[in-house]
Amino acid sequence: MESLLNFINQNAEQIIQYTIEHIELVSIAIIISILIGVPLGVYLTTNQALAETILHLASIIMTIPSIALFGIMIPLLSIIDQGIGFLPALIALILYSQLPIIRNTYTAINNVDPKIRDAAKGIGMTTFQRLIRVEIPNGMPLIMAGIRTATVLNIGIATIAAFIGSGGIGVLINQGISRSNHTMVLAGAIVVSILAIVADLILKFVQVKFTPKGINN
Amino acid sequence: MIQFKQVSKVYNDEVQALRGINLHVKEGEMAILIGPSGCGKTTLLRLVNQLETMTSGEIILHKENIKQIDKIKVRRQIGYVIQSNGLFPNMTIEKNVMIVPDLLGWDREKQKKRFHYLMELIGMNPDEYRRRYPHELSGGQQQRIGVARALAADPPIMLMDEPFGALDPIIRLRLQEEFLQIQREVRKTVLFVSHDMDEAVKMGDKIVLMRNGEMMQADTPAKILLHPKNHFVEEFVGEDRILKSLKLYTLRDLVKEVNLCSITDINDKPSINLDASLHHVFSMLLHQGYQQLAVVEQDKLLGMVDISVIEQFIRLEQQKLL
Amino acid sequence: MSWNKRIAIIVKLFFSIIVIVFFYWAITNNMLSHITNEATEFLALLKQHITIIFISGGLAVLIAVPLGILVTRPMFKKVDWLIVNMANLGQTIPSLAVLALAMGILGIGIKAAIVALFIYSLLPILQNTIAGLESVNKQTIDAAEGMGLTSLQILWKIELPHAAYSIMAGIRTALVINVGTAALAYLIGGGGLGVWIFTGIQMFDHTYLISGAVPVTVLAIAMDYLLKGVQMMVDPKGLRLARKIQHMEE
Ligand SMILES: Nc1ncnc2c1ncn2[C@@H]1O[C@H](COP(=O)(O)OP(=O)(O)O)[C@@H](O)[C@H]1O
Ligand SMILES: [Mg+2]
Repeated sequence: MESLLNFINQNAEQIIQYTIEHIELVSIAIIISILIGVPLGVYLTTNQALAETILHLASIIMTIPSIALFGIMIPLLSIIDQGIGFLPALIALILYSQLPIIRNTYTAINNVDPKIRDAAKGIGMTTFQRLIRVEIPNGMPLIMAGIRTATVLNIGIATIAAFIGSGGIGVLINQGISRSNHTMVLAGAIVVSILAIVADLILKFVQVKFTPKGINN
Repeated sequence: MIQFKQVSKVYNDEVQALRGINLHVKEGEMAILIGPSGCGKTTLLRLVNQLETMTSGEIILHKENIKQIDKIKVRRQIGYVIQSNGLFPNMTIEKNVMIVPDLLGWDREKQKKRFHYLMELIGMNPDEYRRRYPHELSGGQQQRIGVARALAADPPIMLMDEPFGALDPIIRLRLQEEFLQIQREVRKTVLFVSHDMDEAVKMGDKIVLMRNGEMMQADTPAKILLHPKNHFVEEFVGEDRILKSLKLYTLRDLVKEVNLCSITDINDKPSINLDASLHHVFSMLLHQGYQQLAVVEQDKLLGMVDISVIEQFIRLEQQKLL
Repeated sequence: MSWNKRIAIIVKLFFSIIVIVFFYWAITNNMLSHITNEATEFLALLKQHITIIFISGGLAVLIAVPLGILVTRPMFKKVDWLIVNMANLGQTIPSLAVLALAMGILGIGIKAAIVALFIYSLLPILQNTIAGLESVNKQTIDAAEGMGLTSLQILWKIELPHAAYSIMAGIRTALVINVGTAALAYLIGGGGLGVWIFTGIQMFDHTYLISGAVPVTVLAIAMDYLLKGVQMMVDPKGLRLARKIQHMEE
């Protein structure tokens, strides 16, 4: 325990550096995932057949273990000389984020009370106005919950991505293992766990903030 | 104002919800659609603001065929109130009420003024409720807000689908009164769905009785009650239809048509005002066991009313309406 | 056919083609050749992989389901939320971190891997068992009590059948995650198919990578389908119908 604190103390700068890398990777992935997943989820509410297909596909992707996905992507991306490093990690994180974000957005929009949607139509809102003024605000808690799930998931997978050279806190675990330095491994495990828990708490808070006042969940 | 010509609607190629409806609702008129559940009232209403598309026939609004007008534009000229108010839970009361003016691009000042006017109209304090959210209001208040929202952009037409149906009886009566009051002021052309005959008699300039997607009778409340067109109408309006019709008249109407009984010793008889409804008079006569009541107007005694006078009047009305 | 359906079919076709092209590429480039060339080692690793999954998963079921039943009994009402929150929190911790922690405490080897996977599987099973049991309609239980069923009878005849679908969902989630986490067991000396994947990463050897990663992927997807089938099977027919109708009404 003492050696652990010592280790963290002595390598604070390095650990912070890894943490920043970690956060960067996850943030970029989540932003891109939102830009893809939310519009797609919204669109899917207008196309039942495609919704089933896409949600099924996303759930299959979710089933693939991340290390196996990296194993498959490395040879493929090697073709364009990007086998290891940032890109495969980013692609993987984006792929894994799709299911929670698309599914929650889709469910959120679909779950808006049909009577409220009806009222919005009856009042003369266009489809777009309805989406922006009524459906998305009312679905916000669920959409945010999806983003939160994706973020926590990504923090874990980004740790594994360190083994294919994407940097981040996983590097501590990776190096600790190859040097048989248990303290280093423990430090990595604890830091990344704290990061995941803190991210979860912050996003829970954001979720509450993003919820329009009139909606009580 | 609103004209239905041979309007039919079939859902999914199988459910015939409306069959050849012909109906004309005049400007400033309140028409009540009534009939058993599933008879097509809601469908008829939703054809007007094009939430449903009709299978055949025509609907003319203001001399314009609705098919020729842009859907969104039509809807913004029509107020729409539904049973479960359909307020947007994410918006404040002010945002909810002002949604259509906002969509129409009214400026802030004009919106504020309008909000004030509307809240006064529905009897709620504008400043107290401005920033509240729908779920913080009672059912009756929510429904009032629903009405205010529908009136917001001063649309010439209102569609109301059982607007007070989910409220408890006392609140419902109060809101009916209030809406009649509002209607006297704003004079909208209203299509109002109801399943309650008393509500229809009380509110309607015209009652449209439907069954299985067909129109059975469209007439004034008096005509529907005193001269039901067929057995179905007779059954639907109830065996007490004559009694119900008494609500449509006051003593003032009565004295124009028939003579009151001559004045007798009035000391032991209660007096009643000329503006009392005949329903009220009748029930007093039965209830208190008096043979007669003294009819007064501003302390001036006009004569005596008894059951036979009322009977005589109703007979006369019945004949007049023939 | 409507445009919507056409788009759906095109998307499905597109992804099927990607999978087919991938396998064509992998096979023509001999990427899967280790599976046949080193069949004995492959089978040994596969066996190890499956052993880790099922021992840890089996133990987790044996502990988590009774624990879930226990904490949903009235006398534990007060600690119930605590357990649910802890299970939630535990699941935010990355799987690799759990493995690393296990190694830090128990050292290297297959035992540490099994312990890590066991703890990690407990959480979703526990969570789903509790959720399933708590979702049973209170009126149904009231009615059963009113008819004179004992608590044990209510548990057996009503609560568990109602919760079976949810409990199985938890087991399914746990075991599918386990397939992936077991592939990381190599890192703490636990063996399994991860051996080939990490060897491939370290030596930049594509054949090792694909020969390890594809079986792990297939295993995970197969596990998911299999357990989905079991999940449907344990769901009493009446409840399945009710769920369907509820779904349609929504
Ligand atoms: N969206 C719909 N799809 C199919 N059938 C419908 C739909 N809406 C209403 N109907 C059917 O049309 C008939 C008339 O319904 P509706 O207009 O709602 O009646 P009401 O408002 O008088 O109760 C009913 O038989 C109803 O089941
Ligand atoms: Mg209706």
